[in-house]
Amino acid sequence: MNAFLAPNEYKSPLKPIWCPGCGDYGVLQALYRALSAVGRPPHEIAFISGIGCSSRIPGYTTAYGFNTVHGRALPIAQGVKLANPDLLVIVAGGDGDGFSIGGGHVPHAIRRNVDLTYLVMDNQVYGLTKGQLSPTSPRGLKTVTSPMGSLEQPINPLLMVLAYGAGFVAQATPADMPGMTALIEEAIRYPGFSFVNIQSPCITFGEEEQQLKAHKARMKPLASLGHDPANQLAALDLARAYGTELYTGQFYRNPSPPPTYDALVRQRQVELQKGEPRSRSRVLDGYLKA
Amino acid sequence: MTPVTGIDFERITLRDALDLAVLIEEEARDRYREFAEQLATHATPEVADFFSRMARIEDRHRTELLERRRTLFGSTPSTVERRNLFDVEAPGYEEARAFMGVRQALETVLACEVKAHAFFNEALPRVKDPELKALFQELRDEEVHHQALVKAELARCPEKADDSEAYADDPVAQ
Repeated sequence: MNAFLAPNEYKSPLKPIWCPGCGDYGVLQALYRALSAVGRPPHEIAFISGIGCSSRIPGYTTAYGFNTVHGRALPIAQGVKLANPDLLVIVAGGDGDGFSIGGGHVPHAIRRNVDLTYLVMDNQVYGLTKGQLSPTSPRGLKTVTSPMGSLEQPINPLLMVLAYGAGFVAQATPADMPGMTALIEEAIRYPGFSFVNIQSPCITFGEEEQQLKAHKARMKPLASLGHDPANQLAALDLARAYGTELYTGQFYRNPSPPPTYDALVRQRQVELQKGEPRSRSRVLDGYLKA
Repeated sequence: MTPVTGIDFERITLRDALDLAVLIEEEARDRYREFAEQLATHATPEVADFFSRMARIEDRHRTELLERRRTLFGSTPSTVERRNLFDVEAPGYEEARAFMGVRQALETVLACEVKAHAFFNEALPRVKDPELKALFQELRDEEVHHQALVKAELARCPEKADDSEAYADDPVAQ
């Protein structure tokens, strides 16, 4: 058993450069607390991110980190986990990184069910590049790239990941720090692909109704509605309200998590080691016959 | 959202109440430290210094309460945790602003003292034990004293002290 590690043990000396008032500050503190509760030491953790404000998170922790290229955090994280299955792998990024530029990777990470935790800081805007329309921007939003208002229907991240069969799906906000900390901890502990959509407002380019003050007034904890996280159909129904209602908590948690891809790969490696070693010629035979 | 969850004020013990009070001060200290870091990073040293001072004050309050707790109950483990409270006296994350001035920072602190007072005031009718009641009254009245100190500082702070935001460039696309 690991000795107790205080939240500050996960805090790197690098100071965050997010705008004061950014929701990501709260996410980072919740993350430190969740990691302390889980108790894995920093050298057993790898943070993988893409590009964007929230993708700076690896640098602010004492864990291993890789700030990858835009939208490619999930494939790299899967590679990291398969190369070293003992690592606790956490992926962090924004809604643009995850659902626009990296959107094609989401279904495949989910269907493989690699044991990862994916934290998306959803602020409905490209904040780092100064406020362009993002995949989760609400219809009608005026930005520098939609001066007359967006004509596009936003992506619904919750519905998307649920539809592809993610085993753990939750939503949080820094307006409820204890709730968000508990959800991140539960997501990390879930054996398989887990997803937490964090409504982390952009203080500089976000709309007033997306800010933490508005969250405090609007948020509805799913537990208070009597929602059963084992009920996938009810979760899908609730997820449809993304953009209109701010539900927080676990939408879905598979009560019987299937084996993870990394566990299956390990199992196959063990089986292969037990059998007769494959000769090099047998491998090449297939190509020669073709 | 209620600032404290999982604690029944009708059944709370003196030890738990002291632990809660310690954690309230600790949360405020930590948040002011964060704000000080944020503002220092964003080239607003005078406000960063102010929040650092606030963090030191909250830490002093925390230490005083912790000493009282140790004198009365020794090192018996606490049953109250940080997850039981949120933003009781600490400013919300949304209160920090780039280019904020000292006056705005003082107003933020005053609002925190007001909400901490409201918290103890609302909890008081639910507390039954006379010893506990006295503690909650003491903590509530402390907040009134803190408010007076902040108000006095605000009165000395020039009205025009927060013009810095007016000089900031509007955010533009690149």
